[in-house]
Amino acid sequence: MLTVTQLTKTFEAAHGEVRAIHNVSFTVKTGQFASIIGKSGSGKTTLLSLLGALDSPSSGKILVDEIDIARLSGHEQTNYRAHKIGFVFQHYNLIPNLTALENVMLALEFGGVPAHDRIERAIQLLSDVGLSSEEQKRKPGRLSGGQQQRVSIARALANRPAIILADEPTGNLDSETGKKIFDLLHSLSRSENTTILAVTHDLDIAGKTDRTFTLKDGTMLADKR
Amino acid sequence: MNVISRGVRNALRSPLKSGAVIVMLAVSIGLVLAMLVARSSVDAKISEIKATTATGITISPAGVQGGMGGGDALTADQVKTITATPHISSASSTLTDQLGTEDTNLISSLALGNLGQRQMRFEQKTDSAQTMPGGASGDTVPRKAMTPRTTVTGTSNATTIVKSDKLTSGAMINGNSEDLEALVGKTLAEKNNLSVGSTFTAYGKTITVKGIFSNGSVFQDSGIIMPLATVQTLTGQAGAISSVTAAVDSSDNVASVVTALKSALSDKADIVSQQEQAANSVKPLESIANLALTGVIGAAIAGAIIVLLSMIMIVRERRREIGVIKAIGGTNIKVIAQFMTEALTLTIIGGIIGLGLGVAVSGPITQSLVAGSETGGSAATRGQGSPQIRAGSFGGVSAQLRANVTSVTSTITPQIFMSSIGIMLLIAIIGSAVPAWAIARIRPAEVLRSE
Repeated sequence: MLTVTQLTKTFEAAHGEVRAIHNVSFTVKTGQFASIIGKSGSGKTTLLSLLGALDSPSSGKILVDEIDIARLSGHEQTNYRAHKIGFVFQHYNLIPNLTALENVMLALEFGGVPAHDRIERAIQLLSDVGLSSEEQKRKPGRLSGGQQQRVSIARALANRPAIILADEPTGNLDSETGKKIFDLLHSLSRSENTTILAVTHDLDIAGKTDRTFTLKDGTMLADKR
Repeated sequence: MNVISRGVRNALRSPLKSGAVIVMLAVSIGLVLAMLVARSSVDAKISEIKATTATGITISPAGVQGGMGGGDALTADQVKTITATPHISSASSTLTDQLGTEDTNLISSLALGNLGQRQMRFEQKTDSAQTMPGGASGDTVPRKAMTPRTTVTGTSNATTIVKSDKLTSGAMINGNSEDLEALVGKTLAEKNNLSVGSTFTAYGKTITVKGIFSNGSVFQDSGIIMPLATVQTLTGQAGAISSVTAAVDSSDNVASVVTALKSALSDKADIVSQQEQAANSVKPLESIANLALTGVIGAAIAGAIIVLLSMIMIVRERRREIGVIKAIGGTNIKVIAQFMTEALTLTIIGGIIGLGLGVAVSGPITQSLVAGSETGGSAATRGQGSPQIRAGSFGGVSAQLRANVTSVTSTITPQIFMSSIGIMLLIAIIGSAVPAWAIARIRPAEVLRSE
């Protein structure tokens, strides 16, 4: 269960204080697939940073399985990211000189999985997202965009996170591949019972998620169930 | 795959960039090793020179220096006093004289030159007004052309002037004998077509050439060395000594021996300690040692800057990647460890090549540094001089000092190797410190903002 209460994030800018997120509150149940939509500058990315413990809020609470991540120390935030959060980025952000398999194993290493268990788990995850054993040995530069995003999803799932945060996961893919990736995320949220929160511009995709939140100027406008 | 293996792989990620960094580091570390070798070798030579030559004392008749001045020769009794002084382990006596055209059939191999002409200008005036040998009493003889003279040195121990390896043919003379035999300098021998077994005349006697030597000095190689007693007899100076070179058993006792000799000989002798000569002789070497130390520090700083700039460049290029690693749970320590491993890998590869390079060039660099210093250094040594050179006793000590100064052998010891490796690791650590700080400051949220 993800519960966000009165979340506010402000930044100091040259022209004064900027409120990127203002009094945002919502709840997502475990295993739900939710989308966040909004125009550029509406605060989507900032919200994702706060939920992923990449940044700390100015005020408010973020409860993940009853733990307020807004109050975590730097070291605890890192630990939280390693075990409770999986990230899927628009530009995949795979480590270029590691193979697909090694990219997934890297997340497993940070999650504290023993070295001898990592390879087996990584192969299983990559197979689950549809990568052949030959493709698993390739470096990102020799994989298509869709394949890279699959690796990114496998990496996000590596440590069985409570939440997967996806930032425009289909934004860099053609519509057909984007649909496949969306379907993959959707099926994973069901099979792995993982909460997925995806930022997207694609209203078609947003329409297919369990819930859709709309942000405007840092404020939550609507919660469409 | 762990932090170490990722760091090693990352180091070789871009062969061109890594290659350039490695080459620069190799040159820097090679220079560190070469300079350490030069410094160590020169330091060893300084210690050797001080230990081996700083125990000598030269005693000359008071008022005589370089064949100039005036005074009475040292006597046999004074020599006995010298040898009986506590802590003097050995002493070698010499008597020098010069052979003019009237004294010998040898043709001097030295050119008179403008210096020689100036030194002889008084004798020339005197010669023209006085009775010359062979002339009738009261007669004046025609003014003769000035000619250079040949120096003859009588010594009680010829090996203090000519080392056995400087003897190009023949055998050593016995300094304690009264034989009519001589060692002839190579230049003089060539000028007069002399070889071992040849004879020449001096002081009206026939002298046999027992050996030919080459000390590498034009002055010395134009002279003659004979037994001390022979020269004393031939020149009619029985028991006269123009110089005594005494060896003290330890450099710690040199000062007390000098004091004792000054007390015993009073104002009859001038006493010069070779400690001062040795100190002057090693000055160029000490300059090289300082220069080498500066080189070590400079090369190490250059190496650290190379690693520092390379790693800053790498961290800047991979800022996003660092953000991703932190976003997926990588701790600062792990990311820093990975980048430090990367820096260390580059440094170790550069270091291995550099150490090889250093081994190859340390010898030539040491030699060229020493040779470079010799140009000014030996001139200084000669200038400060040594009375012995000018006195014509072949300047054995100073010549030996100069020879020692230039005969530095570069040696790479395990300690130097370990020091080089230590400096290499220091370069990697210093070069990685700032990038590590930069890595720690990268916020993982940046990875989303740059999306």
